[in-house]
Amino acid sequence: MTKIIKSVVCPICGCLCDDLEVTVENNEIIKMKNGCAVCEAKMVHGYKSEERILEPHIRKDGKLVPVSMDEAINKAAQILTDSKYPLLFGWTSSASETQHVGVELAEELGSALDNCCSVCHGPSVMATQEIGIPTATLGQIRHRADLIVYWACNPWSSHPRHVERYTAFTDGRFEKSEFKDYVQKLKAKASQKKVAATIRRTQVRYQPSRPQSATVEAPPQTLAKAGRKMIVFDVMKTMTAEVADYFVKVEPNRDYEIFGAMRCLVNDQELDVDSVGGIPVDYLKEIADVMVNAEFGAIFFGLGLTQSIGRFRNVELAIALTRDLNRKTKFVVSPMRGHFNVTGANTVFAWQTGYPFALDFSQGYPQYNPGEFTAIDLLRREDNDATLVISADPGAHFPKSALQNMMKYPLITINPDWNAISRLGDVVFPTQWCGIEQAGTAYRMDSVAISLKKVVEAPKGVPTDEEILRRILEKVRTIKAQKTTKENKEPQKEEAPKKRRLKPQEENVKAEGD
Amino acid sequence: MITITPKRVFTVPVQAACISADVFAGKPLEEIKKLSITEGKETITLDDAFNITEDKTIETPNITLTGDFSKVKRIGQGMKTGEIIINGDAGMHTGEKLAGGKIIVNGNSGGWTGSEMKKGLIEIHGNSGDYTASPYRGTSTGMKGGVITIDGNVGTDVGCYLQGGIIRIKGSAGRYLGYHMLDGTIFVEKDCAIRAGACMTGGKIIINGTIELLMPTFTIDSIKPKVKIDATQNAQGPFYVFLGDIAERGTGKIFALKATNPAFKDYEKYL
Amino acid sequence: MDIAIKDGKIVKKVNESNAKIIDASGLTVMAGGVDIHSHIAGSEVNLGRMIRPDDHVKDVVKKTALTRSGTGYSIPSTYVTGYRYSKMGYTTVMNPSMAAMKAKHAHEELNDIPLIDKASFTLLGDWWFALENIAKGDLEECARLIAWMIRGTRSYAIKIVNPGGLESWGFGRNVHSLDDEVPNFCLTPRDIITGMAKVNTMLNMPHTIHLHTNNLGVPGNYKTTIDTMRALESVYQGDKPIGHITHIQFSSFAGDSWAHFKSGAEEIANYLNAHNHMTVDIGQVTFADTTTMTADGPFEFALYELGGHNKWVNSDVETEASGGIIPFHFKKKNAVNAIQWSIGLELSLMIKDPWKWFMTTDHPNGGPFFHYPRVFAWLYSRKAREATLKKCNKKAQKKSLLPTLDREYTLYELAIVTRAGTAKALGLKNKGHLGVGAEADVSIYNINPETTDIAQTYKPVRKAFGNAAYTIKDGEIVVKDAEIVATPPGRTMWLDVQTKEPCRIDEEMKRKFKEYWTIEFDNYPVTDHYIKVPEKITIKASV
Repeated sequence: MTKIIKSVVCPICGCLCDDLEVTVENNEIIKMKNGCAVCEAKMVHGYKSEERILEPHIRKDGKLVPVSMDEAINKAAQILTDSKYPLLFGWTSSASETQHVGVELAEELGSALDNCCSVCHGPSVMATQEIGIPTATLGQIRHRADLIVYWACNPWSSHPRHVERYTAFTDGRFEKSEFKDYVQKLKAKASQKKVAATIRRTQVRYQPSRPQSATVEAPPQTLAKAGRKMIVFDVMKTMTAEVADYFVKVEPNRDYEIFGAMRCLVNDQELDVDSVGGIPVDYLKEIADVMVNAEFGAIFFGLGLTQSIGRFRNVELAIALTRDLNRKTKFVVSPMRGHFNVTGANTVFAWQTGYPFALDFSQGYPQYNPGEFTAIDLLRREDNDATLVISADPGAHFPKSALQNMMKYPLITINPDWNAISRLGDVVFPTQWCGIEQAGTAYRMDSVAISLKKVVEAPKGVPTDEEILRRILEKVRTIKAQKTTKENKEPQKEEAPKKRRLKPQEENVKAEGD
Repeated sequence: MITITPKRVFTVPVQAACISADVFAGKPLEEIKKLSITEGKETITLDDAFNITEDKTIETPNITLTGDFSKVKRIGQGMKTGEIIINGDAGMHTGEKLAGGKIIVNGNSGGWTGSEMKKGLIEIHGNSGDYTASPYRGTSTGMKGGVITIDGNVGTDVGCYLQGGIIRIKGSAGRYLGYHMLDGTIFVEKDCAIRAGACMTGGKIIINGTIELLMPTFTIDSIKPKVKIDATQNAQGPFYVFLGDIAERGTGKIFALKATNPAFKDYEKYL
Repeated sequence: MDIAIKDGKIVKKVNESNAKIIDASGLTVMAGGVDIHSHIAGSEVNLGRMIRPDDHVKDVVKKTALTRSGTGYSIPSTYVTGYRYSKMGYTTVMNPSMAAMKAKHAHEELNDIPLIDKASFTLLGDWWFALENIAKGDLEECARLIAWMIRGTRSYAIKIVNPGGLESWGFGRNVHSLDDEVPNFCLTPRDIITGMAKVNTMLNMPHTIHLHTNNLGVPGNYKTTIDTMRALESVYQGDKPIGHITHIQFSSFAGDSWAHFKSGAEEIANYLNAHNHMTVDIGQVTFADTTTMTADGPFEFALYELGGHNKWVNSDVETEASGGIIPFHFKKKNAVNAIQWSIGLELSLMIKDPWKWFMTTDHPNGGPFFHYPRVFAWLYSRKAREATLKKCNKKAQKKSLLPTLDREYTLYELAIVTRAGTAKALGLKNKGHLGVGAEADVSIYNINPETTDIAQTYKPVRKAFGNAAYTIKDGEIVVKDAEIVATPPGRTMWLDVQTKEPCRIDEEMKRKFKEYWTIEFDNYPVTDHYIKVPEKITIKASV
């Protein structure tokens, strides 16, 4: 039996493209239209992985053995209630319905609660807390933007359809696609003669007095054209930079200085230096002019800002630049959120607690402080003594020192496949692929909620992560109720937290971290 | 004097804002022992986690903490009078919102030490963490007054949104020193990492060591032979004086010792 | 007098032998409060929450065995919002600003606000489909599209914010009068307002258009406000009001600049006293460190440019709306803020008919909703007004008309401006009163109306309004002695507006849809999944 499902939402990146056409045969996706290569890799192939977890496991004598769901739930609930200070981490590849239960569980436990944004765009959220943010939904940019700046990100590889759906290569009501220009540019490149002529002419028109930079090309004349233009700032020439009208090569870790300098230039102030971050100030001046002259400009930034030196301060200044530009024209700025529902995790946490990530419930009310309650910081200080990881793989992405501390204490994982962290778990739950086997809500990078679809049935006996969490929550409540009645009868003695002794896994960690 | 020592090595964070001279004042020992704190998610009494003794013959300091308090947060939070001595490391938020009195740490201190403090004195005879004397997330009113001295080094983002008071650092300072500061003084005896004084609009930062890199948004003003740190003390120069952050139309001043900052010679052509 | 309740409704009588009896003698009994305008949920509100950890940290709420934890202050988390409303005896709240594209988000949040019934108003005043049809003169098609949108977003009314201004803001501009042309669309704000009012009548909507005027927050804007009300005179058919101007305090400024800022309350009140086609709510300033948020993006930017603010958020929504957020501290010692406070009360006291105006703070813009009892006190007690006025900026004191106003609201009038009037304006027939057939939403306050001179002893009365002795929601006691004792979820009301023929959803429409939005047509509407406890209200339209 073959069926075609339209308007399917892609559960990969923050773009949440919702125009996929999926062909399903015998409960298996066999074909997919409109999606990018990354989408195809997951939706047609990846989710069928042989590495799929099909039943719950518990580590017994150092080895993971299959157990019943009840046993796994009981064990997980016991670990979490016994722990003095557990950490619940992950959430960004789960539906917002699941995240919703997660907050309730954390509150019930009095635990720390953090999501993956603390290792991606958490700094962007922190920056908005310092200075606010002028932003817009992606369609607004599609309809109106005549200047698109990608800063420290490479959507061509990380968000493959971003350019084609939302920015330079899409037709909007007031601005048309730049794709034709791009094709012409390619053609021009193909012809040596034309290139030579173009370069010659360009040089004739531009003032030769301009100082030359060894690493950065001078702004091309095409930046003055009407219609859409795209500028890429990055530390290396990426595919996105290839299609841009202008690529500016930035010295690593100097974005902050460049934003500062550009702000001065936009505000008509003089600088005492000749170059900033490897870019001659005269070039920056021209770029600032292009920005001021735009009808509607948009800056998208990526992890190159949030995870390089300065982190949220970099973003803060990107926002400050955008704000300054709004005094002269219209400008918006937007983070290129990664996981398909990382924005949702921030959103759901915020409406229930007031805070988007880095939460702690140990006081009975929500506390927030990145640096204090963010997962890596907690783990590196060895503050928590049990961890639950859901829909994330810190095993592959956390620093060694954090993972080593995580492995000293019990670890519960909820993931669809045997990724690095599942293999390290003490209680390992199987779960459904959200957006493929499980419906739910996800928030696009511009915080528009979109409903994920269920297109195939999950393997038998594999529950949703929401169900697992609800059952753990219920069990935790039962255990707590029993404890209180017991404590009323006889006061319990303090027990030192159990350190885990696991030889083979510790070797694993080393391999992971190195 | 109340003496407090940990009963065990803490494996999870302990929040103990009640360890404060104000809170203890006038309370009998038994009552102090019953004060509520949290260890991780568990709510316990002070007595559960610490050995507490009282020596009525000594008046100052009011509280002496001895041992490893690096996981104990919020010691002396919001204290108005009195004195606390910590013989060991102190945790995060030590002396947060201090409104008077004195806290001495004979060891290192965690992040947000002296955050949003208004008055009083904090002495740290070791290093201090990130965000020392800086306000909570999203808050743009920082330390308003008082003095913090640090014998060792400090982390990043120290003295953000500073509105008054003095921060003296005998060691080196991390990135974003005096970020967005409005007033007050920061004095660093050794080196300073990048982006010092970024977005500052007032106040002064004096650096006796080398500045790793000055923000391009500062403009040279003059060379001065010396600069005042407080009413009693001057720093001996000559100093390059930079004005900024001009992106914020600020008039803050960075004093960089000429002898240790040869890289700034280029700026002299604008004088 | 006894009030009998059965199955969540007020009935003639019940069998007293097996009924639970609450002795409310010596107490004040009112219908549950109905708030006509309070930003409690949605993308904008949540963005406001997200950027203000500094605001939350000073107001934390602990978890209890029954209630969830959370934070305040100016934008409380969802659960806390429900608890605090209920503690004031409120049982119904309108969430007045929902971008259609972000409706799912708003509903997800509303599901997490317990204890109150709620509904949302969709921002439709700058929606491209509507603008194009109004410009074309095809109001019937416009009405059908709006019916589709109201249903598709599960909403309750048409919200119009700075008509034409939001579209202009797409390129960083604004409109400054009713007759400025909206760029690229060949129409004026006047066309939008009158067109939408006509559409609203065609659709037989229970509420009128809910209008946030042009030039809001600009000195001298009372003229625009009167122009707006005049423009709607032509649509009035003489039976019921056809427009509601919301937070009118922010649209009643006189003077030509901030330096010469003064009150335009008298002019507005005189107009309203002479006409019957409008209702208004106030948007009272309560002097708090709050967070302003509105779909009026250009206004928020102008406010930011006045200086003194550390954060500014702008959030445009493609083809529909914009939005802005700024943390704002209203201070008594600031002349403009104090005059704004005075304007709100001047309007409240000078508009004679309490059925024409309603009490709001435009939460969180003028102040958080849990400051309502303070506003009540200023209404029912001249003494309370004077006490606050004395602490205000001297210049503002001189300019204020309050010393000339003797009026003190009675408890009856207070009940009108907080429940009966709002329920009537919203077309909620079973709310806002305690007659037979009404929903059993009741609030009981510890105020003895017979023995208390509320104007003189305003402080304990104010306290009683903030701490209901009982709140009853659908017949269930949810608050007792200001403590939450039950947490039912509350319903989400939405309109199923049935037009005679549905709007044309053909290939042409779908193509246009794909061009205008970045979401597929199929994925756009809010499905039943997003509403935990729905209350569908079916409306037959006359087109």
